[in-house]
Amino acid sequence: MTVRTRLTAWYAAVMFASLLAIGLLVYREFAPEPKKDTPQEIAEDASDFQEVLRILLWCGVPAALLAVGGGWWLTQKSLAPVERLTAAAEKINAGNLGERLARSGNGDEFDRLTAVFNAMLGRLDDSFSRIREFTLHASHELKTPLTVMQGEVETALREADLPTAERERLLSQLDEIQRLAKIVDGLSLLTKADAGQVKLDLQPEPLDELVRDNFADAQILAESQGIRVELAACEPIAIRGDRHRLRQLLLNLADNAVKYNHRQGHITMGLRRAGEAAEFRIENTGPGIVAEALPQVFDRFFRGDPAHATAIDGCGLGLSIAKWIVSAHHGDIRIESMPGKLTTVIVRLPVSSK
Amino acid sequence: MRVLIVEDEKKTASFVKKALQAEGFAADVCHDGDEALAVARATPFDVIVLDIMLPGRDGLGVLRQLRERKNPTPVLLLSARGEVNERVEGLNAGADDYLPKPFELSELVARVRALTRRQHDQKFTVLRVADLTLDTTTHRAERGGRTIELTTREYRLLEFLMRSAGRLCARMMILEKVWDYDFDPGTNLVDVYVRRLRDKIDADFEIKLLHTVRGSGYLLKEQP
Repeated sequence: MTVRTRLTAWYAAVMFASLLAIGLLVYREFAPEPKKDTPQEIAEDASDFQEVLRILLWCGVPAALLAVGGGWWLTQKSLAPVERLTAAAEKINAGNLGERLARSGNGDEFDRLTAVFNAMLGRLDDSFSRIREFTLHASHELKTPLTVMQGEVETALREADLPTAERERLLSQLDEIQRLAKIVDGLSLLTKADAGQVKLDLQPEPLDELVRDNFADAQILAESQGIRVELAACEPIAIRGDRHRLRQLLLNLADNAVKYNHRQGHITMGLRRAGEAAEFRIENTGPGIVAEALPQVFDRFFRGDPAHATAIDGCGLGLSIAKWIVSAHHGDIRIESMPGKLTTVIVRLPVSSK
Repeated sequence: MRVLIVEDEKKTASFVKKALQAEGFAADVCHDGDEALAVARATPFDVIVLDIMLPGRDGLGVLRQLRERKNPTPVLLLSARGEVNERVEGLNAGADDYLPKPFELSELVARVRALTRRQHDQKFTVLRVADLTLDTTTHRAERGGRTIELTTREYRLLEFLMRSAGRLCARMMILEKVWDYDFDPGTNLVDVYVRRLRDKIDADFEIKLLHTVRGSGYLLKEQP
């Protein structure tokens, strides 16, 4: 039951009860003294009383109904600011913490509540941007020592008379430094995207052309694993998008479809128009993702199966970056998976109006 | 060949200098922007390696000043921010190339070398390395009198490698030139393509031309 219904019911009940009480009180005060002498007079008294009760009911019920209507209206009026507050609060998420609710400015309870709510949003916004700033600074600060480490290892590798064991050790160190550098790169990209600092260069792009290019690259990537790649459909569709980012997205998905596949498996990709959207699907055989893990696949550093995670290289940010690219183009991305059989990634991007 | 390194981080400046000297370049180092401008005005350089984050006048400011004064020296920008926007901003300000930190030393050297050659090649229509030839007008590749069939991507890869013959082509440079990617896609696309190209141009021949430089990239040359 909503607060509004409850308040209205209580209001009507109280009105009804007070009407009854007043009626009875008035009757007691102004009614003629009961005679109670003859049985006829007793009967008269009783019928008087019943008459009063009847009048009370006849007036009381419509009055109560009026009270219900009035109560309904009154509660609506007083609760409207709460509704507005709720609707506004619902719209707020990590992306628009900078927004504030409009205040009425009349200093009533709701205005104070709005002020308190806004202040809380402000504190949330502060801590969110502090975390963002921190990650941004951290990834930036990490790059200088990484540059020095990489440079010095490479300088050491240039020495001609390096023993083989030493050389191998340095090369393995170099691999790890480069992996770290990739992670730092991905993190700083995502943090900047969170802060809205990455600008997309939006141009009309023939998506089918990008998909066809990506198909060629995917075939090459899949070849050594004996994986067959198929382009099921490629309808000519143009969207407004950032060419580099879209290519990054497609290659990223193709690369995942190869990495999380098995030998002699297959990959099918297709681009079709679906209403006002371009739908790109890519499905691959392979171990897949269990249903419980599906909601987390786009989380940063999420690896499906911890046992297999280390065997597959990559920075653990690929799908987070893919999701960001899709969202930045106002599209959506989702994954469906039948573990052990087929995993499908579906990307929908809005088609440009022209 | 004389290179000016403008980098405030002393250790980075030092190993970049060492690496360039090892490759036969003369290298000078500046640690801040204003000093760099003064030095660049006094001495002609073949390439300037310019870090964006500098105390005082920053790298982009130095670059704009240089270009305003009609100084045409090729500039390789270095940046720890490494974002596409910044790359575009840098190239618009007049930079010739851009390398995000952390970078591979060998890639930096390769890019500097490419900048020193940029002015005077691109003219030949038939490229030749040993007995391998590539006609850039007809897109025909031949080795030892035998025609080699190439896909478009393979052609572009071979053309890039042949134009840079004898010099290291870092993976990221190949991705930029052949795929037009300005991000590292984190795949082994380049390696797989190079392997295919190698099958076509090297497999049947005694002398191998396409060499791998582990951890860095590839190199097309006559001698092993």
